[in-house]
Amino acid sequence: MSGTLAWALVALGLAVVVIRRRSLAVALVTAQALVLVGYALYQASTSQDFVAAGALCIRALVLATVFLLLVSRTRETRPVRARIAPLTRGGIAIASALVLTWLVPAIGLTSRDAERAVLALVAFGCTAVATRRATLFQVLGIVLVENGLALAALELPGGASLTVELGVALDLMLIAVVASVFHERIFAEFGAGDSAALRVLRD
Amino acid sequence: MQRCGCFVTSRELLAVCLVGLPLATTVLLLVVPRRFAWAIALGAAGPTSALAVTLGALVLRRPGAPSVGDWFVADAAGALLVVVVGVVGLASVLVSPSYLVSSYSSLVAPERRDKTYYATLYIFWAVLLAVPLAGNLGLAWLLVEATTAASALLVGFSGGSRALEAGWKYLILTSLGLGVALLGIVVLAAGVPGGGIGALSWRALGSYASGHDRALVAYLLVLAGLAAKIGWAPVHNWLPDAHSEAPPPVSAMLSAALLPAVLLVAWRSEHSLAPVVGAHTAETVLVSFGLVSLAVAVPFLWRSLPWKRLLAYSSLEHMGVIAIGIGFATPLALAGVGVHIAAHAVAKALGFYAATPLIGHDERASHEPVAGIARTRPALGATMGVSLGALAGLPPSPLFVSEVLIIAGGFQAGRPWAAAATALLLALGFLGLMHALLETTTGDAPSRGRRAPGLRGVVVLAGVSVAVLLALTAAAAMLPGSDIVDALLRGTS
Repeated sequence: MSGTLAWALVALGLAVVVIRRRSLAVALVTAQALVLVGYALYQASTSQDFVAAGALCIRALVLATVFLLLVSRTRETRPVRARIAPLTRGGIAIASALVLTWLVPAIGLTSRDAERAVLALVAFGCTAVATRRATLFQVLGIVLVENGLALAALELPGGASLTVELGVALDLMLIAVVASVFHERIFAEFGAGDSAALRVLRD
Repeated sequence: MQRCGCFVTSRELLAVCLVGLPLATTVLLLVVPRRFAWAIALGAAGPTSALAVTLGALVLRRPGAPSVGDWFVADAAGALLVVVVGVVGLASVLVSPSYLVSSYSSLVAPERRDKTYYATLYIFWAVLLAVPLAGNLGLAWLLVEATTAASALLVGFSGGSRALEAGWKYLILTSLGLGVALLGIVVLAAGVPGGGIGALSWRALGSYASGHDRALVAYLLVLAGLAAKIGWAPVHNWLPDAHSEAPPPVSAMLSAALLPAVLLVAWRSEHSLAPVVGAHTAETVLVSFGLVSLAVAVPFLWRSLPWKRLLAYSSLEHMGVIAIGIGFATPLALAGVGVHIAAHAVAKALGFYAATPLIGHDERASHEPVAGIARTRPALGATMGVSLGALAGLPPSPLFVSEVLIIAGGFQAGRPWAAAATALLLALGFLGLMHALLETTTGDAPSRGRRAPGLRGVVVLAGVSVAVLLALTAAAAMLPGSDIVDALLRGTS
């Protein structure tokens, strides 16, 4: 994988951590997934590779549809503000990515750039979940992690198992659908998809 | 027998039926009118549970001859878990009507509530039954992730604000944790020769050839990710919330079946990767998770907590004990682990089942500590007493025997400090739970309370549970040195 492509994926991921608009974040995550689809098709040589790329494409489109539908059904009167400012979030995300890259030795993927991009996307996803209050952004954080792992699967030296790739795509779609059900109910209950409202249960 | 040119063993055939039957029941539940939902759910529960017990008995009859393939594994540990999941699932289906009768709100429209509940419960049960039979880490991960989707819906099923919070936390934290585990699996996949699904089979993982450090990082990622699902401290935040807010039959399945089933995946990962990362290192990671979980759980067992939250923290304690036993990895410790998994399932499930009549009897019990139940409802108090006494490890509870075996196994393993710390923490936990037991059953009852819906069924289950617990205590004495313990030591190899 070329360094430019890897860093483009990372830049899209970082943008999701810092931006405020939900629809734009959905577009960025979808764009990231579609870049991965394009790369998968470019690399594909066997029928299994094409099936895996197809699954990735379906996953990207289904998630985009579900999330955009969700945005339109749960219109916020004003965006849910994260407690941490965008620049600070970006700083935390970059610091987490650097720490993860330092902690994890070479994974064994075919390209070192891809390895760094995978770890960065995992770090960005975790940061998004930890620092964003909007429930939809927390789900997008998980999708960011999964996009990073999809990139890792594409860069495995012997190729990933098709069964596992299809299973991961299916599982992620199921999780997204269940998260959508929760998001809608949380919106109906609290008037906003804001995880800050979900802090009653404590000991 | 031979089908389509490939050999299918009776164990594999049973396993296919075992997972297929609850899945088929789900489809049936979705298409039939709602008035038949309960009858279909009940009708399929018995055969599903019977299949699980049959498969478990088949494997445990010859524990030294596990069936091991790239996709499917049926060994002693898996058989034990299949039986546990099968029996707990049956009991959860049986007590579900009293929960549905006594609760009104739900995530879905009232006319679809019962059907959706049973269909989701059956999907969850089917996937849970498949987890212990997964022959490779990739498939096991997929199944564990699939349990998240089904069980999160069940956790938030009541649709109330607290249930939504619990369900959301559970969904997000466990999905993120499993993402981390998947990163570990990717690292492993990059270093195992061969590629494809076979490279992730439990046997193949031992052939990881990209170096000790990389394997260790992968192992830590896999375990840290699974820890979030098992509920090991310090990544256990979702556990008390989900267990306390889910419908009681679902809480029972989460605690008694899901947690140990995912723990089995961690156990198999440890066993498979021990030759690469070093057995001592691999076991130390498990012992550390176990001790931290115990240390975090014990202070909460001393606090005055609502009934289901108390049981949830007890789950954290017991998953810690099981992790320590697996980490000690001696015959005595593994005998203790086997007994502990079964006895914890029985006692914990009974405790959660008692929550439905308890909350019906006194609504405040869902969010406040209760006291003096034995004064106002003696049968309910006795049921709760049996559950809590057994969980505390009060003799003759089998959990007392299993904990003694695990601690003795720690000394046998040459880990005296870890064994002593375990003993100390368990003693503190015992005192906390005994105080809770006395307060809950014989403390000052604030009022007479109302009737307790579903109490008769729960009391019958309590009688059965007492018999099973006593049988487990007797079996625990015979287990060390048996073929089953030898098989647990060997794992899938």
